[in-house]
Amino acid sequence: MADNTFDAIVVGSGISGGWAAKELCEKGLTVLLLERGGPYEHIKDYKTATKEIWELPHRGSTTDEQKKKYPVIHRGWAAQEQVMDAWANEEDCPYTEVKPFTWWRSYRFGGRSILWGRQSYRWSPMDFVANEKDGIAIPWPVNYEEIAPWYDHVEKFAGISGSKQGLAHLPDGQFLPAFELNIVEKDVAARIKEKYKGDRHLFIGRVANITVPHNERPGCQYRSRCWEGCPFGGYFSTQSSTYPAAMKTGKLTVRPYSIAHRVLYDKDKKKATGVEVMDTENNQTYTFKSKIVFLCASSLNSAWILMNSATDVWPDGLGSSSGELGHNVMDHHYNIGAEGEIEGYEDKYYFGKRPTGFYIPRFANIGSDKRDFLRGYGYQGSASRSGWNREIAELNIGKDFKDQLCEPGEWRIGATGFGETLPNHENRIYLDKTKKDKWGLPVLAMDAELKENEIKMRKDIVADLIAMFEAAGVKNVRPWETYYSIGQGIHEMGTARMGSDPKTSVLNKWNQVWDAPNVFVTDGAFMTSSACQNPSLTYMAFTARAADYAVKNL
Amino acid sequence: MTVTHHWQLTTDTRQLNIMDRRELIKMIALATGTAFVGGEFFLSGCKNPEAGTSMEFTQDDIAFLDEVGETILPKTNTPGAKDAKIGEFMRTMVNDCYTASDQKAFHTGIAKLNDECNKMHSTSFMKATPEQRKSLLVKLDSEAKEYAGKRPAFDAEQIKREKEEHEKGNSGFQREKWTAHYFSMMKQLTISGYFTSEEGRKGALRYTPVPGKIDADLPYKKGDRAFAGLD
Repeated sequence: MADNTFDAIVVGSGISGGWAAKELCEKGLTVLLLERGGPYEHIKDYKTATKEIWELPHRGSTTDEQKKKYPVIHRGWAAQEQVMDAWANEEDCPYTEVKPFTWWRSYRFGGRSILWGRQSYRWSPMDFVANEKDGIAIPWPVNYEEIAPWYDHVEKFAGISGSKQGLAHLPDGQFLPAFELNIVEKDVAARIKEKYKGDRHLFIGRVANITVPHNERPGCQYRSRCWEGCPFGGYFSTQSSTYPAAMKTGKLTVRPYSIAHRVLYDKDKKKATGVEVMDTENNQTYTFKSKIVFLCASSLNSAWILMNSATDVWPDGLGSSSGELGHNVMDHHYNIGAEGEIEGYEDKYYFGKRPTGFYIPRFANIGSDKRDFLRGYGYQGSASRSGWNREIAELNIGKDFKDQLCEPGEWRIGATGFGETLPNHENRIYLDKTKKDKWGLPVLAMDAELKENEIKMRKDIVADLIAMFEAAGVKNVRPWETYYSIGQGIHEMGTARMGSDPKTSVLNKWNQVWDAPNVFVTDGAFMTSSACQNPSLTYMAFTARAADYAVKNL
Repeated sequence: MTVTHHWQLTTDTRQLNIMDRRELIKMIALATGTAFVGGEFFLSGCKNPEAGTSMEFTQDDIAFLDEVGETILPKTNTPGAKDAKIGEFMRTMVNDCYTASDQKAFHTGIAKLNDECNKMHSTSFMKATPEQRKSLLVKLDSEAKEYAGKRPAFDAEQIKREKEEHEKGNSGFQREKWTAHYFSMMKQLTISGYFTSEEGRKGALRYTPVPGKIDADLPYKKGDRAFAGLD
């Protein structure tokens, strides 16, 4: 075998790419895993993870210089001193915002698997039939029964902690023991259940943090510093989970600093033959050959690679024959909710920091609940006692003020909605040929926005949460909303959707590009609709399923 | 642990909303597992396009800021702000993280605070007694809160002006940004610096860097200290 030839090439080392590499290696294939960023080694490279806050020069704040250099990251809570190295360099890697679009990228080995929120929910049968039932976009070519065994498969390996709830619209999975709601959250859950007669539910967020040792990973130590990388392997990441499994096979080769920017396509055989890579260290291009290619570069970047590929056959790129490549961009819209205080628990506190909060699954447009919009939303939040950051009305200066701040403050509760975004052909990304990145490659232009259905939904997200909190005895309930533009949910998806008809979809039901069946796209790009659950678990399941199919059909 | 900013400890409605935002962002942070929050964009609603060259802090300035901090959070049976080297912390944060206009406001504030002390007590801040310092800072704190109360009207006016200019075709027009009261800056930096210092976290809070377990229903009685890291 020549040095540049492998059975399979996987582009991207994040959640999907890590899974593709693991599954393909374990099935005996030689795999080249390409990562555009640099190496980032488990434990050794988690530079701040065992540091104390006072050891950081700015105690977690970003500097004025960083604010200028990373304007997109500073659109929200992603800008933290500990993780600034994680984010893609915005000067080297620009993109065009035709409409406001927040793209939080991590170009480093492991990608956003290090930085993800870890909330892990199955989709339900309802979610896979929603498009067909509502006459929106195109139907999913896969149903829940087909994907359920693959949810089992990935949950068992990744380690998902959660509680079984028996809900048809949010199926239970293969759970490790759940984290625990605190005393206030438990009471709020009971009051909501009573008030809504069992139609609404609040329970602990299902999360890819392990509460017991799992696959040689010691597990969560309740520090809640996941984003800095966990030295205890407390959560699922490429580093903690899929990469070591793939390495164990002896079949894996990793090439960092490698931007895969083009899939090589053989017109006669109508198949891909490999990929072309830009080495970001020496600016040279290299060619690698393989029987199959898995694109797992993140939803937008996988579409970008396709747009750059086989343009002599299809001017708009490989997979563009349907006219849907780059279209139907979706996200989960959030940063909107309510908050308030809750009395009567002054003699209660808690110890340890959970890496999750509570979850309220969707209830809108389920059963007898009918709305003036389609689909629905879930909520994520928590109750906690406020800390030294709080305002103390009467005390301003001196000893008594200090004493007060050293004690926990009042109990507060708050949550944000996570709303489904409908696929819309008008919401799209495309190549901006007027602008190039540091390596002379064309960049993406983003032209997407929330439409009427999402805007209507946001009103109910607030109204329902206020009503639930008030029913649960929360005082001084206030709505809140902060900046959101598409992409900021960090759940980008839909840019190479799957379907049953090559005329209206980019991929078939096995994540294969219709126009080049040995190219599989298994990151968020394949999603035909968005539901409102956090999507990474679904990417894992489809990736494992596609890898199984690919190897069986080699 | 939360990164704090100088708008935080003021009381006007907008500022309170901002503080609530902080809390809420913290809750999101909890839900998403991000322990550290630096959501400046949400908090200020804007980014400052200009950064400044840092102005120099003298050793006298550091000593002065140590005393301001110590007056806000004095040594008791637990360490005070001076023990936490609050003056040096303020220097680092103002130099590295503040915008040029905020740096200017902060430096001017050092002289202003001293002037106010001369007016109130006929002595410089460094020579004033702890009681004199405290009564001065209580007054400045209330002044800072009153000043912050003007922010919503200021922002509304600026937003209106920006809109008008943009409609006139002056697309490059940028509205003027609110600058916080110097005392709000000092107080906020004192609190965040103290409670993120080794002295503050180990000496004034309950310090448990690796909890290793969770207790979701822990009895609490008034006077029990907060856990460092649960803030």
